This record gives sequence, structure tokens and C-alpha cells, in this order.
Amino acid sequence: MEIPKLLSLILWFPLLGILLIFFIPRERENAIKRVALLTALIDFVLSLVLLFNFDYGNPSFQFVEKKLWLDFLGSYYFLGVDGISILFVPLSTLVTLLCILISWDAIKEKVKEFYLALLFTNIAMVGVFLSLDLLLFYIFWEALLIPMYLIIGIWGGPRRIYSTIKFFLYTFFGSIFMLLAIIYIFWQFGTFDYTVLLGKGFPPYVEKLLFLGFLIAFAVKVPMWPVHTWLPDAHTEAPTAGSVILAGILIKLGGYGMVRFLLPLFPQASIYFSKLILVLSVIAIIYAGLACLWQSDLKRLIAYSSVSHMGFVTLGIFSLNPIGIKGAILQMINHGIVTGALFMCVGVIYERTHSREISYYGGLATSFPIYAVFFMILTLASIGLPGTNGFIGEFLILLGTFLKDKFMVVLASTGVIIGAAYMLWLYQRVFFQKPKPYLMELPSLSWNEHLALIPMIILVFLIGIYPNPFLDFMRASVAQLMVNLH
Amino acid sequence: MLALNLNFSALAVEVIFLLAGLTVFLVDRFIKNKNYAYYIMLIALSFGLFFLLFTPFGEFTSAFKTDFYSTTLKFLILIALVLLVFISYAYLQVFKALNFGEYYGLILFSMLGAFVMLSSQDLLTLFLGMELLSIPVYFLIATAYVYNRASLEGALKYFVAGSIASLFFLLGVGIIYYLVGALSFKEIFVKLAQNISKKELIIALLLILGAFSIKLSLVPFHMWAPDAYEASPLPITSFLASLVKFALFGALIKIMMISFSPLRIDLGNLLIPISLLTILIGSLLAIKQDNLVRMLAYSSIAHAGYASLGIVSGDFIGYGFTLFYMFVYVFMTIGSFALLIYLTSLKREYLHIPSLSGLSKGLPLVSFMVLLFFFSLAGIPPTAGFMAKFYLFIALLKSNKLWVALLAMLFSVIGAYPYLRVIKVIYMDRPMGEVAKRAYSVTLAVPILICAFVVILLGIYPKPVVDFIQRTLYLYLSFLYFPF
Repeated sequence: MEIPKLLSLILWFPLLGILLIFFIPRERENAIKRVALLTALIDFVLSLVLLFNFDYGNPSFQFVEKKLWLDFLGSYYFLGVDGISILFVPLSTLVTLLCILISWDAIKEKVKEFYLALLFTNIAMVGVFLSLDLLLFYIFWEALLIPMYLIIGIWGGPRRIYSTIKFFLYTFFGSIFMLLAIIYIFWQFGTFDYTVLLGKGFPPYVEKLLFLGFLIAFAVKVPMWPVHTWLPDAHTEAPTAGSVILAGILIKLGGYGMVRFLLPLFPQASIYFSKLILVLSVIAIIYAGLACLWQSDLKRLIAYSSVSHMGFVTLGIFSLNPIGIKGAILQMINHGIVTGALFMCVGVIYERTHSREISYYGGLATSFPIYAVFFMILTLASIGLPGTNGFIGEFLILLGTFLKDKFMVVLASTGVIIGAAYMLWLYQRVFFQKPKPYLMELPSLSWNEHLALIPMIILVFLIGIYPNPFLDFMRASVAQLMVNLH
Repeated sequence: MLALNLNFSALAVEVIFLLAGLTVFLVDRFIKNKNYAYYIMLIALSFGLFFLLFTPFGEFTSAFKTDFYSTTLKFLILIALVLLVFISYAYLQVFKALNFGEYYGLILFSMLGAFVMLSSQDLLTLFLGMELLSIPVYFLIATAYVYNRASLEGALKYFVAGSIASLFFLLGVGIIYYLVGALSFKEIFVKLAQNISKKELIIALLLILGAFSIKLSLVPFHMWAPDAYEASPLPITSFLASLVKFALFGALIKIMMISFSPLRIDLGNLLIPISLLTILIGSLLAIKQDNLVRMLAYSSIAHAGYASLGIVSGDFIGYGFTLFYMFVYVFMTIGSFALLIYLTSLKREYLHIPSLSGLSKGLPLVSFMVLLFFFSLAGIPPTAGFMAKFYLFIALLKSNKLWVALLAMLFSVIGAYPYLRVIKVIYMDRPMGEVAKRAYSVTLAVPILICAFVVILLGIYPKPVVDFIQRTLYLYLSFLYFPF
């Protein structure tokens, strides 16, 4: 099936939903929800069409759309996908779709604004993955802050305002350095065009500075170890949908940016700084893993586990070999699926009990068997048990890093063990033990919660058992990346 | 024999403004329904727009000349002025004690001053224009005396600051005349180009820059601004923050481009600490303000600092971006003040930020507009505020001032906080007390929607306006240096 201007269609389709919702009176909440769901569904289907029309063997950009946008700056409306970004597009639309499902009953006030913000988030997320013009990229990157600021701040938990302002200022601060680097590149080469910039070399000193400029922005988003402190707060206080978007897509933007911009544009600096980033990643893995062990808050624990998992991702990226990079990209997808789904699970139980304290729970396995199964699968995937997707990603990353630095692998592997410890201990505390009496009478999973969780569970096994098609998508592009890198 | 060829067509817009202003002053005593002045104002503006666009460029004596530059800026000012008149009308319907014909007449006179300033060809005419721009504003601030006793204080502060600015300016002009022996922009340029003796000139230039800094409320001359802004009627605050500053930036850029263009790099360097401090102090002081107008006043100081970054770049392209920044800022300001007027017309306490809590529940659309304008003021894409800042940073990097750009960007993170706080209060805090019932007002809805449209459009596609301004500068300069 050939659809002309498919990328623009995927990118801007939610705008139609936004306009429709804008004109629906706010009292008709069901209509608003249905329109949002339908929009997200169609957008997801469109992104699947994109996925199936994608040509594996071609390492360059496909479905390219290029139009002059600001001619004074030589900036283009320039969209395209390659093997690195292709998987993130359906992931973004899927996450939006599932977020709408999971929030169906959970969001009770300002319903209209919530779905408007969610669809706007979708546009910005997809825009980041599709844009090949640095200015366009930056605009989508920053535009994402607006709806996320609102989603966390309006529908979040008790300390939502502190968290959302912290989140906003942290990421805004980080992005400033990227903006400066982008302007500097423009000043040097007179273009924002990514494909043109690929061929240009920078003087070594400048290259390192630019690398750092981009790195600060990406490191805050990932988040890497010293600048991770916004994440536990934001995750904990965000509503379920907000946490899912944060875990599923937003923190992937950093990793994606590293693969997309840092490695190809600044190859020498990447090699120069790789050791530093490997060390920071290992610190993140172990530190955040240990931090998980003494969390008493469900969401906070999973948030810290995100930091630990993203440590693996940056480790894989800066192992600077194709296995590690492929593993990192796959691990980002996996983490989006698994952690996103874990946050959904926490959201499900939170809606019923309004408590995130681990000690509040116990024995949920008896009252909530299906839920317990879901959570078990996700826990195992998060640990990286063979047969689940987490294993593939972590294995590839560790393999890739092994080729670069064996000592780091030893340290990072302890992170896997810590991961098993905190996740299994969490599972034991929440689901086993003596059943708490007040947890016996809870309503079981509703249709929308089933619908939101099942696709994630399927993906866990699909990628876990047969990851080849997913790796095939990125093979050619990553090979191309490696050519540039050496 | 003195042969004076007086070409009044070059003065057409100014004459219309003068006549309309005088008419209002003459007949105001005899007309009961004060809304007539609003219509006279609209008629004067539409005639002004017509004559501005359809009279050929020309000179009225050697002191006054219409050209690409002045006509473009006047055109932009006139468009914004129409919006300002709309919101003034809406404001005066609520605050009836201010509803006099003179209110509009003074605005017209003030803008007449702006126009004279923009068309002036020598420093003295520019000074006259500048005075005519400011003096009616002193009155306009003081008109709020009926409602707010502090307005006299604000007006007096502005008056004293403005007088000092005039002093500075005249002193600077005097020194320049002493050194160069000329007042006309072009002659100064010619003399300066021949032998630049920077040392003596620097005092004069500092004085002139000081005068502009006072009027533009740049640090360390910003003290008058918050008091004057808070004390004046809301439309006048927006007028003072946006259009007056826009015109002043236009005039400053004009003399920088013509007379002092050999020195523009040094002048830019002189401005670096001023601009950066202005941004920093404006942003920092805005954080703690509980009064919405006062918060916007401090933010206006910070924005003037950003706009002056284009002058810091010492580059003609940077000058164009300063004008673009101010253009965007005019629309953001008029839009947000229109919202403020709407809110005060519902409930007086709404100017107190904490009392806005939970506003989004009762007034979702208004809240959304506040969100839009404030994110734009904070400079977050995809709004025009981001694009305006972005162009300025590009100009700074082009002129090798990387660290200035870096600092300005970092300060913009601080500057974002006050806006985020207001949005937080509106959207995230629980409502305190009852949210006011909504009321409709066409004269406010139209300017708000226009401003919102401009803010979004220029955020996504700023090219037309940027090109328009840059081409104007280019044409103006090429005609200036290579007249046909």
C-alpha cells in the first residue's frame, strides 16, 4: 500500500483529532475519549503501514519529505526514517494509544484538556523521531515539554507541582546547550540539514565542545547518572499516562538523540568521550539499582529501575560497535514496553487503592490472579530472563561492551543481579506474603486495562523469542553508522 | 531668497494624527457620550494607514524624511495600535472614570512623537520626537489616579527618569555637536568616517545610550519601570511596555545604522553587560512578584534586555532581529494585557497571582490563551517567542559573541520560571473561592485572537515577517549609501 507523504500524515494526523476535540463541548466526555482513541488508533495503523513498507536493506533515509521552511536560515521541513528511527515511530503511537486506554476511567477532571495534551504529545514525540533538520528537531524536542509539564502538573499526585517544575527546568536547562550547539553548527556551515552535516568534519576542539553541548541535553533526558534526579520525582508524581509516556518515549529521546546525532556527527569526540560515558553508565546501573533496593514507593522504585536500565542503553551506545548499538536501540524499545507496562500495572492498582506504598500491599496474587500474571511476566522481562525481550537487549549490550571494555561488563553485570534482587523482592512483597484483608474486595481488571496491557505482554514475548525482524530493521543503518564512525 | 519647498505629503500621517488629537481635545467638553473618541481614533488610524501606504517617500525639510525604514516601522506600529485601541475601549467601558476623549488624544500624540522620531533626520528632531513620545505617557499614567493613588507616584517616577533621560540625551548631542560640528545623521556619519577619535566620542555615546537605556528600562536605569507599570491603566501599561519600546528601539537602531555605524561594534560591546544584567535582573525579580502586572513589568525589563542583544551583535542583521523580537513582543504583550483586562473586568482581585488559582476550571479558553502567551514569553517552541529569541542568538553567534549567547540562554531558563508559576497557579492549584462567571467582550476577543494567531503563526512560520524586516533594512541601507 503506497500512501503519499506518509510521514507527514503520521505526524500531523493527531492534529485532526485535536481540532475535533477542541469543538466538542467539555460535558460530553465520552465523545472526547472516543475521538481521541480513534485518532490514536488510526495514527498507530498508519505507523504500522510505515513499518511494513520500510525497506530493510536500504541504509539511507526513506519516505523523505523535504520542503524549504525558513529560507533565511536554510532550514527545511525535512522528514525521513531510517533503521534507527523506524521502530520508535510505531512505539510512540502505540504508547499514546495505550495511554488513552489506561486513562479511560482514571482521569476524571479536565478530561478535554487531558486528551488534547496527550495528542499534542504524540505529535511532538513522532516529530522528534522523524525530523532530520536540526532546528525542526529542536522545536519538537522542546514543544514536548509543554504537554508534559501540564500532564504531570495537572493530573499528577500530591507533590506534582514541585516535580513538574523541576522536570521542566531541568530539561529546559539541558536543551539550552543543545540549542547553542545547533546555532554554532549553523553559523559554521550555514545549514541545519542533517544529511549535509554528516559529510562535514569539525575541528577537534570544536567537535568536543559541540559533543558536550548535545550530550548535556541528551544526558538530562536519558537521564544519566549525575543529572537523573528529576526522573524519580516526575515519574512518581505523574499520572499513569504521564509515567508511561515518560518511561516509554520521553527518556528514549535522549538515547535516540545519541545514536542519531552524537555518533555520526561527532565521531572523534564520541570515541574520545566514550570511556567517560561508559563509567557514568556503569555508575547509573549500580547506583540506581542499589537505590531501588531501599525504595518504599512502588512508582519510585520503577523510576529508579528506569535509570538503571537506561544506563545499559548508554553503555551499549558508547560501546561503539554494531552489536552494542543494535542492542541499545532494541533495549530502548524493550524498556519502553516493559517499564511502560509496569507503570500501567502500578496505575491499575493505584486507581483501586490510592496507595503507592509497597508495605500497604501484600498477597495480591490471591485476589488478583490475572494481574499477578501480567506483573510477573513484566518483572521477569525487566530482569532480563531468557525468552523475554529484556534478555535480548541486555545480552546484546553486554556482548557489545565486552568487545570494548571487559571490566565494565563485569561491573554492569552486577547491575543485572541487583535488578533481579529488587524486582523479585518487590514482587514478593506485593503479591505474596499474607493477603491483606482490605485488598480482597478490589474490582478486577476492566476491559480497557486488559486492552492496554495485553499488547505489551505480546510484544514482550514476540521480541523475546524472535527478535530477528526487529534487529533486521536496524541492521543496514547501524552498519552505515559504523562506516561513518571509523 | 529662501525658497522653501514644503512637501506636506511626507507629513500626511503625522498631520492626520495631529488633527485628530486636537479635535478630540477641542470637542471633548461638549460631548456627553465619550465613546465618540474611540471612533475618531479608529478613523484617524485607518486614514493614517491609507496615507502611509499610498503617499510617496519624500522629505519635509531636511529634518524629516519618510523612507523604507520609517514607513515599515510606522506600518507595524499602526497595526498594533489598532489592537491597543480595541483593548483600551474595552478597558474604559469598565473603568468609566477614565473614559475621556483625551485618553485617546494623548495616545495619538504620543504615537505622533514616535513617528516624528522614526522619520527624523537629525538628532534634535529625534529628541523632539522622543519628548513628544514620552510626555503624553506621563499624563496617561497619572490618569489612573481615580482608581489607584499610587499612579501619581508612578507617573512622577517616570517623569523624573524621563527628564534625566532628556538631559543625558541633550548633553550627548551637545558633545557630539562640539566634536563633529553637525547634527544631521548623515553628516555625523561622514565626519566620523573621516577621522574617528573614539575617546572623546565615547562619553557622548554613553550619554545617548544612557538616555535610551532609561527609556527602555535597561538595568541600571530600570527602577522606575515596575512602579510606573503597576500604577498605570492596563492598556497604557501594555502601550508603555510594547509600542513605546518598539519605537525607541527603532530610533536607536536608526542612529546606530546611520550616524554611528563606524562605531557600532564598540557600542555593541558597551551594551553587553547592560543587556545581560537587564535579562538577569528582570528575570530574577519577576520570580517573587505576586502582582501579575508587576511580574509582567519585570519580565518586560528582561525582554528589553533580550531585544537589545541584536544591537549587541553590532550587525545589521542583528538589528533586524531586534526589530523582529520587539514586533513579536508587542503582540505577546498586547495579547496578555488584553487577557488581564478581561480578568480584571470579571474580578478586580485577579491581578493578584494566587487568586487566579483554579481559573482553568471556570474559564478554560482564557486560561489556554494565558498559557499560550506565557509560554511564548518564556520562549518555548513552537511559539513566536522562541523564534524571536532564536534569531537573536543566531545574530550573536554570527558576530562571534558565543558566551553572550550562552549566558542569555541560561538566563532564559530563570526567566521561564515566573511564567511557569502563573500557569501552575491557573492550571494546577485548587480553586480558592468562586471562579468568576464568564462574560463576552468582542473588543477584547478580537485582539486576543489576532495576537494568539500571530504568536502561533510566527512560531511555526516566521519567514514572512523576518524577510519583510530584513529586506526593509537592506533596501533602506542600500538607498542610503547608494542613492539612485
